[in-house]
Amino acid sequence: MNLKISALEYVQEVKTGNISAEDFVAKTIERIQSIDDKLHAFLSINDEAVDQARNIDKKIKSGEKVGDCFGMPISIKDNICIKDSKTTCASKMLENFIAPYDATVITKLKQQDAIFVGKVNMDEFAMGLTTEFSAYGPSKNPWNLEHVPGGSSGGSAVSVSAFECVASLGSDTGGSVRNPASFCSTVGYKPTYGLISRYGLISYANTIEQIGPLTRTVKDTAFMLNLISGIDSNDNTTVDNKNEDYLSGIESGIEGKKIGIIKEMIGDGIDPVVLSATKDAIAKLEGLGAICEEISIDMVKYSVAAYYTISATEAGSNLARYDNIRYGYDFPLEGYEFNSYISKARRNFGPEVTRRMIIGGFVPSAGHAGKYFLKALKVKSKLTREINDAFKKFDFLISPTVPILPFKLGEKIDDPISLFLVDINTITANLTGKPAISIPFSNSNGLPIGIQLMADSMNDKSLLQAAHALEQTVNLPEVPI
Amino acid sequence: MTMIGLEIHCQLTNLNSKLFCSCKANYREFKINENICPVCMGLPGSLPRLNQEAVKKATIIAMALNCTTPEKIAFFRKNYFYPDSPKNFQITQLNMYGDTSVGGTGSVMIGDKKIRITRIQLEEDPGRLIYEGSSSKNLITLVDYNRAGTPLVEIVTEPDFETPKEVRDFLNILSDILANLGVADPSLEGAMRADANVSIEGGKKVEIKNIGSFHDLEKAVHFEITRQDSLHSRDIEIIQETRHWDDKRKITVSSRSKEEDLDYRYFLEGDIPWITIDHDIQKKLQAEMPESISSKKERYVSKYNIPEQVAEVLSSDKYYSDLFEEAHTESNAKEVANIITTELMGLVDTREKREVSKFTSTHLRDLADAIQSGKVSRNSSKNALHEILKSGKELSVVILELDLGNVSDISELSKIITLVISEESQAVEQTKSNPQTINYLVGKVMQKTKGKADPGLTLDLLKKQIGV
Amino acid sequence: MVTEEEIEHVSKLMRIDVDDHKEYVEKVNMMISYFDLLDSAGVNSEEITMPEISISNLRKDEYIPFDDKLIEKLNHYKGTYVRAPKMSS
Repeated sequence: MNLKISALEYVQEVKTGNISAEDFVAKTIERIQSIDDKLHAFLSINDEAVDQARNIDKKIKSGEKVGDCFGMPISIKDNICIKDSKTTCASKMLENFIAPYDATVITKLKQQDAIFVGKVNMDEFAMGLTTEFSAYGPSKNPWNLEHVPGGSSGGSAVSVSAFECVASLGSDTGGSVRNPASFCSTVGYKPTYGLISRYGLISYANTIEQIGPLTRTVKDTAFMLNLISGIDSNDNTTVDNKNEDYLSGIESGIEGKKIGIIKEMIGDGIDPVVLSATKDAIAKLEGLGAICEEISIDMVKYSVAAYYTISATEAGSNLARYDNIRYGYDFPLEGYEFNSYISKARRNFGPEVTRRMIIGGFVPSAGHAGKYFLKALKVKSKLTREINDAFKKFDFLISPTVPILPFKLGEKIDDPISLFLVDINTITANLTGKPAISIPFSNSNGLPIGIQLMADSMNDKSLLQAAHALEQTVNLPEVPI
Repeated sequence: MTMIGLEIHCQLTNLNSKLFCSCKANYREFKINENICPVCMGLPGSLPRLNQEAVKKATIIAMALNCTTPEKIAFFRKNYFYPDSPKNFQITQLNMYGDTSVGGTGSVMIGDKKIRITRIQLEEDPGRLIYEGSSSKNLITLVDYNRAGTPLVEIVTEPDFETPKEVRDFLNILSDILANLGVADPSLEGAMRADANVSIEGGKKVEIKNIGSFHDLEKAVHFEITRQDSLHSRDIEIIQETRHWDDKRKITVSSRSKEEDLDYRYFLEGDIPWITIDHDIQKKLQAEMPESISSKKERYVSKYNIPEQVAEVLSSDKYYSDLFEEAHTESNAKEVANIITTELMGLVDTREKREVSKFTSTHLRDLADAIQSGKVSRNSSKNALHEILKSGKELSVVILELDLGNVSDISELSKIITLVISEESQAVEQTKSNPQTINYLVGKVMQKTKGKADPGLTLDLLKKQIGV
Repeated sequence: MVTEEEIEHVSKLMRIDVDDHKEYVEKVNMMISYFDLLDSAGVNSEEITMPEISISNLRKDEYIPFDDKLIEKLNHYKGTYVRAPKMSS
């Protein structure tokens, strides 16, 4: 059984009867069981996946209406709630938390007969870039097991890239879907802010994060987007995309489109191999009829500082609810006073989360808010203005997703600023709410390089067209696992 | 010069659902922790869904208190840790980027004095705490989250009050206004709470929290003024602090508040966009507002000639004004008003009594008409009212069952009068010389007819028969 | 520069016991110093923009009870109360 097919190919195969959902899902589970020891993408596996697949085969045979996913095995980042399943955010604080409700994206996928094959690893509470901050151990890059898979949606990228599932849902706050997608050579998508409901996504920085799919092809991402996007009454920040069909017309190409090359994202600190790959991508796009030109977005220089100030502030507030009183882990409260109990209970956060909480308490506090938090909000506003101006001139903006190659495990874990800067190319899309996609472009000594395209708000459809066009020019090696 | 300011919290008990979720707004009928959902419990991944009607109700409250109402409002997070607050932050309002609360500056008159309103904001109520074990050494805190997320409107006043009585008057007027708007039932337990701040002689402001009722508020303010006066007269400095009302000892006590906790790190609530309430919508809300108390009172006086004091009572209590509006006609308005304020009032002066009363506006109209037409005497009408309150039976039925029908048949009445004259010859003689004493004879006729004789008619016939 | 006292103060504010304040001082200082970069962004006059929705698009005021007995799925509940540690004073 060939597991190395795209989501759309899977659907075709099952529809035409060439394969059964049960067989495919069973083989998928087998694959997970045989290689995940090395990769550690999964935190928990759905025991009933094969049974669920069998039921879908029954539905298909009996002529009943079947959802668009036809039993497709999908992995879900462990910060998205699935009812009656453990949802830990890769943290010891939520060790015993079993979600009593489904996230909106889960409800939608269930309705489409998707099968959730398991919950995948992440940096604790989505704070990190390498999945090394997971309380349950890091995930490994299937392209080179000594290297990081990226983060925070590391488990998502690994599971898709290593054929442990057909697609995954991750979350992207500062690049957490696109960064691991780039490091693991998959497609990773962050939609326009508000396009996908965050109801059921455990909040880290709620004004800038979105759930995003990780898939093998751009068409697969469009397919997923059709299923999970749309206005949701459970999330006041969602926008109405009027049931847009992202798949139709995806092969339209980019003839005549104007693409801006963000100077600040190919500047100092970029790995020469990544720079050359970027130039290559630009040449390919020009070959397809696009017009590429450099543009300077001055605020990019301040975007990382602004991002960490804002996200730490929001995280400090969003994570305040984890006091182990209503849910959490086993820690009896007898004999304690309230404030000392919760202060002690919250020691179960990992060191990175703790650091971010301290910062998140500091930067908006009385006496410091003006210097840090309010200034960061102003940088966010100015950056948005600059990007909006750029989109008056250009249809898309391009840059490498990450300015460096996937690095070794342990290499940057003690150097926070250097780690922050890994995100410098992806953070802009989060701060401005614009859609952005990373597509696998090339490979350097077995280490993947991804190229990022950005579009204006609500232009997700045309962004996918551009990404698809670029993707068609690419020829990549197979993952060595 | 004493300066007192108030911070009043009013639950919007007439709404169907909580501020950010669809659980019930009025939590009082539920068993412990049965009126909760992932949103009001702040479960991981939950998001607030703002209640449209709550914003509308808060806006009309602001309008009723003559406050400015901005076209854009925003919500903020107030970050602090407490077991009754499931997210460990409260979603509330603040004027951080210009006027972003639902109501800006306004005013309310208490008699001739103007009390300025600083702002009105919409926010969520926390859950309720119960302490197990004795109050000084409690072992465990028990939390009921049924109330968490209930919509609250906070009304903040300038320190314009000078006496506890002014505070009490204001709270009464405010309760009437809120009941009249139909946004809340202020008589429900815990529906309206208030904190106060007190300063004397332009000195430091002391906040008083944890006041259980409006009655206690008056006492607390009075105590605090006395306390500060006493310190002042001995040249002792009054410290700016927060004190809480100790209901057992009836005093205010200094609260041990840690300085760290006062940093709430306010910032915009990112899960709720700014809400635009444009001019057209505001105009519509204004037009659809129930008639104000003062407008009703004016109308009762000018249109129906109802005496001012009666109109005052009628208009300020929604229960009475509703009854009046439904029961009155052009001809019986004054009588209806009279029945409400003289006979009905004493019988339905509490929420419980009103809940069980079966006396409707139809009954009221029938009764007023019956009195005016002479079918029932004013005396008998009292008995009828008592009966209807309990049984809800139609007036005509009650009249028959209790034999309350007026004796207004002239021949029958004449016979009774003749009898009384014959029995009271001495009184009759007195009346011939002193006409005022005829009332004694009227009384005797009323006795014989068990109060059912029409008094006016009785007087006329008596006069005729005696010849005065 | 962030001092050890400030770290202590903030960790109390955020209710997280921190073992070694010194260790955090170093790391947090590194990060906060990096944020000083914001001072040179020249954004003092910038307006903060926010997304908006009309009041007409807000949720209708309906009572819809949550299906499951939610309280039974949470920790620390006694009978039906949620239990929390005692409050000081």
